[in-house]
Amino acid sequence: MHELSIVEALIDQVKETLVQEGEKGRVLKLELSIGRLSGVNCDSVRFAFGLLAPGTVAEGAEIVFQQPKAACNCRACNVLTEIDDLVIQCPNCGSGDVSIEGGRELLLQSIDVED
Amino acid sequence: MKIVAAKKILKANDQLAAENRALLDAAGVFGVNVVGSPGAGKTTLLEALFAQLKGRLKPAVIEGDIAGSIDAERIERIGVPVVQINTEGACHLDANMIASALKELDLAAIDVLVIENVGNLVCTAGYDLGERLRIVVLSTSEGDDKAHKYPAIFQGAHAMLITKTDLLPHTDFDVERIAADYKRLAPEGEVFQVSAVHGDGVAEAADWLADKCRQSK
Repeated sequence: MHELSIVEALIDQVKETLVQEGEKGRVLKLELSIGRLSGVNCDSVRFAFGLLAPGTVAEGAEIVFQQPKAACNCRACNVLTEIDDLVIQCPNCGSGDVSIEGGRELLLQSIDVED
Repeated sequence: MKIVAAKKILKANDQLAAENRALLDAAGVFGVNVVGSPGAGKTTLLEALFAQLKGRLKPAVIEGDIAGSIDAERIERIGVPVVQINTEGACHLDANMIASALKELDLAAIDVLVIENVGNLVCTAGYDLGERLRIVVLSTSEGDDKAHKYPAIFQGAHAMLITKTDLLPHTDFDVERIAADYKRLAPEGEVFQVSAVHGDGVAEAADWLADKCRQSK
């Protein structure tokens, strides 16, 4: 979707966090949590990071993705199904009486900095 | 050394959105984010709604477009204050752009602010602008499968306005199908059918908007 602006925001977050922590070391790794329903494509994030990171504190960092799944909670059959895509019907019974939980995470989980 | 951040990547946007919301609330202005595809009829719908709401609501508009000011000129022509944002390529508005645009508006003189987002069913879903209401505009010529294909934009939207209903006889658009799909994604949501050029359904949608605006005060 709009991975360039997301990566811009990510690099700003990394900068801000390093300042807060008083860290000046090289950034080795960024761990991101990108939910399956966030609409954000991990390959595009990697691509955008390659374009935007050079010259910033995050230059050269490895990116590791966690991709939390979402769950479809069906009130008709009471079955909780793990889903990769947003559904509007229960994959188990086909009922539309469902609620979708999780999967929209867009988080910077951790930063590994050279000691 | 590992620094545990656990921060929302779009935290900056969310914070600015909260500030926009607080500013609008304090001024007694009801914020509405209007999303939909290019050509769904968002601007035409706004023209029709504002004509219907004349004397009841004092609106202003923020127009989001990648380039140009055609839409803002249309809104200006009907005497509604408008600020144009050109995103210069970006596929969505963000809370920072809205914060800048708010400075250009006399909030004391209006009671509803309609933000017409960039025409896009994907990216606009990810950015809170500080609105109180999100409306999805979908035209009959786009097809009735859009809630299946772009569920995120419909999820949690407060209303779906189906536009260009005058074209229904010429399409296979199934209103009941899209309404059922939408209701699954937004059980509390309202569905309106509008032909802005013929005026059908405009009054119902306008009354609903006026009610929502009044309830928020």
